[in-house]
Amino acid sequence: MDWGEGNWPASLQEVIDEFSDVFDAMERYEMLFDFASECTPLPMEEWCEDTRVHGCQSEAHVLCSLDDDGRFQMIGSADAQIVQGLMAVAQKAINGLPPEEVSTFPVTFTRELGLHDSLSPNRANGFLNMFTRVRQEARKLAQGAA
Amino acid sequence: MTLDLEAIRADFPILSRVFPSGHPLVYLDNAATTQKPRQVIQAMTDYYEQHNSNVHRAVHTLAAEATAAYEEARITISDWFGLEPHRLLYTSGTTEAINLCAHAWGRSNLEKGDVVLLTEMEHHSDLIPWQMLAKDIGVELRFVPVDPETYTLDMDAFEATIGEAKFVGCVHTSNVLGVRNPVERIIELAKTRGNGGDGAVVLLDSAQAVAHDRLGFDAMGVDFAACSAHKMCGPTGMGALLVSEDRIGEMTHFLGGGDMIEEAWLDHATYQPPPHRFEAGTPKIAEAIGWAAAIDWLSQFDMQEVSAHILGLARHTAAELKQIEGITVYGDHEGDLGSGAVSFLHDTLHSEDLAHFLDAGGFAVRTGHHCAQPLMRRLGISATNRASFYLYNTMEEADAFVTHLKGVIDRLS
Repeated sequence: MDWGEGNWPASLQEVIDEFSDVFDAMERYEMLFDFASECTPLPMEEWCEDTRVHGCQSEAHVLCSLDDDGRFQMIGSADAQIVQGLMAVAQKAINGLPPEEVSTFPVTFTRELGLHDSLSPNRANGFLNMFTRVRQEARKLAQGAA
Repeated sequence: MTLDLEAIRADFPILSRVFPSGHPLVYLDNAATTQKPRQVIQAMTDYYEQHNSNVHRAVHTLAAEATAAYEEARITISDWFGLEPHRLLYTSGTTEAINLCAHAWGRSNLEKGDVVLLTEMEHHSDLIPWQMLAKDIGVELRFVPVDPETYTLDMDAFEATIGEAKFVGCVHTSNVLGVRNPVERIIELAKTRGNGGDGAVVLLDSAQAVAHDRLGFDAMGVDFAACSAHKMCGPTGMGALLVSEDRIGEMTHFLGGGDMIEEAWLDHATYQPPPHRFEAGTPKIAEAIGWAAAIDWLSQFDMQEVSAHILGLARHTAAELKQIEGITVYGDHEGDLGSGAVSFLHDTLHSEDLAHFLDAGGFAVRTGHHCAQPLMRRLGISATNRASFYLYNTMEEADAFVTHLKGVIDRLS
């Protein structure tokens, strides 16, 4: 499946629709705070050097795996709520997809959330570093599964 | 004379920017880089539109114009800082200037076991080059602690160590805390008691200081000072190492190549005198011209008045932030300040989250460790939010920032 603008997984599209009703950036960030509480977290006792996303201002950790059906699953946690909220949205976007689709999943979905301006490429941007890492993990899992 | 902020702001096109959200830009990230007045932008544009040529080489008209403008810029900048032009070595900024000091002076004048005394307050720019030197030639690094209660250098520790130090590197004004270190006393102690009484060589990292202070380099009696143009309305990618008369002759060439040689043979070469000996390759011509234009622009003001305005904004903001429940301000803003930096943290809201909410209101502040991780560790934190003011900021902006921050905290906590 070629994911991208106008063709997102249904669970992500629901989130995009929710954000599309909001025009105020502050409110969008508050929505991410709400999503953060819905995120399936990586328990802090499982945080280690292997799970750590490097180059983030916030402390962020992700763990990627395949479920029994060979579908991609990511859990993660961050100490910054906005990064945690974006992880929750990312879970809705990619969890349950085949790993090869995750490995090329466009990060541009943040643009459709109206957050792109403040999430532009920046080495200190926790979410982009995290998503890049998740795609790399997905690539490895896809190669391992093949 | 009071600063005419309306007229000042009119010289900065970027300060009129309004974001699509409708929020006007409130630029409070001046310790990272300052904005450029149109006079600087125009000087650099004029150079590229009318005079662009390589310097020191060809005999055509453009080359002569470019060379004259480039070297006149050095005179303008060295006059401003109070030293002779040949002792102002152009670099890409403070970081390269300190690296130049470490390579061109440190390698040929320090040896294994020599004590290099730094402080815990240093920006990484004044730490990593000396770590490299320690690894390469075996100098011993020692550090003056920062008192986390007063946010100042432990001068007793400095006095206890200075006798053994051959070299001292010290940040003039902290980019995190805003504190101005007692550099006059540091220089005096280094010169009278350093290196067993023979005197220690002192480098100041003046990156933040030059935004406020003309230095009076020769009068300070310091050996080296490193600074960047972009902290004082000049362009990025430009700076200088200022060198004393005593030290310039002790420096050996570092980067080799064009423009730094007098004559070259296949197996050896002779070198230009300073400053060109230390400026290999085609230099930063437009940037030098832009820096001089920034100094020409700043010359219309009394820098003491400029500094008083900026420090007033920082003191006011720090005092207001301290009134907000959950906010800790780092640095003593009632003490000896040298910059408009106000670092703070909220006890439950993450600094990165806060920065996004501030940005959403049009407020540009810095978030992170500010390239001073050892200082962060001493303070027991990993990052701060930092608002930093410059001469074009207003009290209304400072108040709007505090109000917006309060609103964000009320909404989220």
